[in-house]
Amino acid sequence: VEANASTVHEHGFALGDVCVLDLSEDIAGAYCTKLLAGLGSEVIKVERPGAGEVSRRAGPFPGAEPHPERSALFLYLNAGKKSITLDVASQTGAAIVRCLARECDILVESFPPGYLDRWALGYAALEHLHPGLIYTSVTPFGQSGPYRDYIGSELIAQAMGGLMQTIGLPDREPLKIGGNAALYTTGMSAFSATMIALHVRDVQGYGQHVDVSAMETMVVAQIHSSIHHQFGSSPARRESLLVRAKDGWVSPGLERGVRQDTWGRVCELIGRPDLKDDPAFNTPEARREHQQDLLAILGEWIATHPKEEVYHIFQELRSVAGYVATVEDLFTSAQLTARQFFQAIDHPCAGNAWYPGAPFRIEGHTWRHARAPLLGEHNLEIYAGRLGFSAADLARLRGLGII
Amino acid sequence: MRLALAGLRILDMTQIAAGPYATLLLGFMGAEIIKVESCARMDINRGQARPTPETHRMYPQGVPGERPWNRAAHHIHRNGNKLSLTLDLASARGKELFVKLAAISDALIENYRASVLDRLGLGFAVLSAANPQLVYVKISSQGATGPEKDYGSLGSTLEQTGGLASITGYGDGRPLMTNETYPDPVVGILAVGALMSALRRRRQTGKGSFVDLSQREVAITLLGEAVVDYSLSGRVAAPIGNGHPLMVPHGVYPCQGEDMWVTLAVSSDEEWRGLCRAIGQPDLAQDASFATLPARRRNQAALDELISAWTRDRDHYQAMHILQAHGVPAGAVLKGGEVIADPHLEARTFWDAVDHPEAGTYRQVSTPWQLAKDARRVTSPAPGLGEHNSYVLGELLGLSIQEITALEAQGLIGTRPIGSSEL
Repeated sequence: VEANASTVHEHGFALGDVCVLDLSEDIAGAYCTKLLAGLGSEVIKVERPGAGEVSRRAGPFPGAEPHPERSALFLYLNAGKKSITLDVASQTGAAIVRCLARECDILVESFPPGYLDRWALGYAALEHLHPGLIYTSVTPFGQSGPYRDYIGSELIAQAMGGLMQTIGLPDREPLKIGGNAALYTTGMSAFSATMIALHVRDVQGYGQHVDVSAMETMVVAQIHSSIHHQFGSSPARRESLLVRAKDGWVSPGLERGVRQDTWGRVCELIGRPDLKDDPAFNTPEARREHQQDLLAILGEWIATHPKEEVYHIFQELRSVAGYVATVEDLFTSAQLTARQFFQAIDHPCAGNAWYPGAPFRIEGHTWRHARAPLLGEHNLEIYAGRLGFSAADLARLRGLGII
Repeated sequence: MRLALAGLRILDMTQIAAGPYATLLLGFMGAEIIKVESCARMDINRGQARPTPETHRMYPQGVPGERPWNRAAHHIHRNGNKLSLTLDLASARGKELFVKLAAISDALIENYRASVLDRLGLGFAVLSAANPQLVYVKISSQGATGPEKDYGSLGSTLEQTGGLASITGYGDGRPLMTNETYPDPVVGILAVGALMSALRRRRQTGKGSFVDLSQREVAITLLGEAVVDYSLSGRVAAPIGNGHPLMVPHGVYPCQGEDMWVTLAVSSDEEWRGLCRAIGQPDLAQDASFATLPARRRNQAALDELISAWTRDRDHYQAMHILQAHGVPAGAVLKGGEVIADPHLEARTFWDAVDHPEAGTYRQVSTPWQLAKDARRVTSPAPGLGEHNSYVLGELLGLSIQEITALEAQGLIGTRPIGSSEL
């Protein structure tokens, strides 16, 4: 343990001594292992021979031309990992996975519950080979329960978690949060749970099966519906608080967290000193009660000013204001620039691009920013270098379509 | 059964949502969480000392009761598994006791505005001098550095500044927020792993560290592919409603009852054929106008009408079960009350039935994970204000009963917020 500790210390990585075998597909599992890679783990991603991981086909692609090495989703999710190809669903492939699992500390998978048992790759089989292994399963509904075999998705997780019901406008249907927010969050659940299991292993010595559910992640993420329902009021979809600025949208705030003098100063700002003492607006409670009237009044001034300017001015008046940043705006934000949040990463097929950086920073600790692997890029390194396969072994496996 | 984080002591200086969520989850896994508030400044989740009528819906059955700060919905929901200490941190004695507490803790988590604890003289520099092994997790709206570090924020503003609102909406050019302050619970979930990472680092180096977590930056990681895509191709992602670039049908369909819906996410032609069977129209699978993804997208209005005609007469749960039985990805849009009663979550013992001494019985949300060998703790109810003053000050810091009584007499600790006495 001591020798290990000093090696790790030199690397500056919390997980510099950790090896992860990533059998997962799509977003949630891959985001978990992306975070583990960022903290310094060696992550070996196992992809299907030929097509590779599903997110290689998801895009978006530059020029809208599909290319397995240019999918933005794949490039982002798999930054800093190694890629090997392997047909897990074959006797030989499964035997190779068992060899790799013996060498690893953490295995992450997202197959339908029970699927890997058929290939003697379930937790029980691998625990027998490697009791210290942490085996993290990331699935839509978890490893047990009546929906265990149901098929999930981003949209379904948002719906069944009780979140979607309250998102959107009152006169419209429930609305999904854009992109893949639920699956990323599920990946964060898997990451945190895996880190807890690693803590247990460091201290107690044993590995275990970690069961992460997208539905349950989203139930945890609804922070109003379930408790308010039980206490007698039911949250519902409601009117938007966003106001149109010259070049986009803002929320002026003025409800929670404002100072005593904020409202008066806002009235001066918008040229309506007559409203300073208007009882419909001169307290946070009154403003909340007359919210839509307030937004209409502010809207006249806001409409003639750029959104980010409105945000800064209202923040300086100590109102908790926001502005809707597009991905383009994120790159010009003074705050994000000052913190050097975005990281440039070059890639042999996709070229140079800016990526979101570390989601948290540990002082004195490095975050690994590295490119995503090409399909099967590390076959030789892992199969020959790590497992000691000969050139003839590799040729035979390739011929059989296993790698 | 032992608990995964048994033996870890965490000082909880958090409030509102993101921070309390992190410590709620850490508490479930067995850490000892000491929530520090003061009688002058409680966690906002506890509501007002004397609630105004428009906030009564925040209390069980709309009744604030004798000690509303111990019954408020958000407090009950987010502060389980914690101990409560009140301490006036503006006073020299309060600061001194707080530093002593930091000296016997493994970690501290806080989510005040960036400079607040530094101004109190209780920032990382001071606390790590008292305890070099302390892990200090600072959750803030924009990070511990930068020109906007002291800007105020709520989950709703972070959805905006972090770009999430710019890709959420019905596709009519108007962005929308989630109404659920989504970046808050997300950060709570992630902060658990961040803290565990720094603790692992401590096991290696023997030293604590400062963890800087910006909620805005975490929100941006939720749209990473759009960021990379913009960087590669200049395309600015915009809301597309409930649609999906690679799936049709993909969206919500009306079901029996008031505001009831089922979602569908068909990702392949095989699933489409399953859908045709599920809605009792197997011949539709042969219809060229829907057989492929491009065809389904071209004829989406007709397709949605066909599907709605079937879903409209069915309960949303029933529709989901039938569709899933045919291999079609589908999920009911559940309301708060339905999530609590859901049979799947019931079978997985996701909810704890809690009998709170002041708020009555309710069902508590638990963890999004299950560790097979380290069960989570059964929820201990959210603590009353200052409920554990004697334990923390007496048993942990070794103060005598007389000293504790004196602190109470000086108003440095207490169990009622300032401003409540007129009740």
